[in-house]
Amino acid sequence: MNIFIPLLAGLLIGYLLRKKGRRVKVDLPMSAALLFLIFFMGVEAGKVRINAFWLLVSSIVFAALTIAGSVGIALLMGGRR
Amino acid sequence: MRFLVYVLSSLLAGIALGHFYSPQFGNLYEVMLYLLIFIIGIELGQNFRLKEIRKLGGLAVKLPFGTLLGSILGGLLASLILGIELRWGLAVAAGCGWYSLTGPLIAQYSAVYGTLGFLANLTREIFTVLVYPVAIKRIRRELAVSMGGATTMDTTLPIMTKFGGSDVALIAFVHGFVLTAVVPFVVPFILQF
Repeated sequence: MNIFIPLLAGLLIGYLLRKKGRRVKVDLPMSAALLFLIFFMGVEAGKVRINAFWLLVSSIVFAALTIAGSVGIALLMGGRR
Repeated sequence: MRFLVYVLSSLLAGIALGHFYSPQFGNLYEVMLYLLIFIIGIELGQNFRLKEIRKLGGLAVKLPFGTLLGSILGGLLASLILGIELRWGLAVAAGCGWYSLTGPLIAQYSAVYGTLGFLANLTREIFTVLVYPVAIKRIRRELAVSMGGATTMDTTLPIMTKFGGSDVALIAFVHGFVLTAVVPFVVPFILQF
């Protein structure tokens, strides 16, 4: 199934609920779904051999460079204000 | 903070179970992913108001898109340095710190890169908490918000409010809010290539 289908369905339902003046609290189901999802993701990751050192270094490199890229573009935008 | 402990515990428990027992859960993973995406959609549908974002002015609208662009450029560089295929590297970077969404979305295609997507974005969130208070001594407080990506509307908002002030809090919230609306479309889009 395409990921956009549940996303757009949720957006539409949320919008309709707002228009009707009703509000559904989604914190608890979202947290539960998230924890199950991460658990299953861990199960799948545990089945394959992963080089933990490569994963650690790659995570740090990605985090550092994505932050640097975002701040760099923000500085370019802020400078032109 | 307590939820972060639950998240890491879930991940570690799953890895241990998968490593030692290799259980088969059928398509439960996909069902949970679609359920989570559906719930995120409801939350966005209930809260997203374009008019309120426009009121804040130009920077509040432009900054999130600059953050996304910069993040993707950073991901491009990281992919080239680490020798990772661009499809995975750009998807990891486009997550903009939203580890709980990016990891599972990528894991649909690759468990290894899904785990990288999860950990790289979690690391971005942790770096933001550690670096923001120091960075604002050299960078304008509202521009430094960009380092937090999509997390600036929730998990990193307290640190930005505490060190940046209440005027930064509003920009940080809108910044995170816009990215939260955009990232669920951008990451799957990149993964389709």
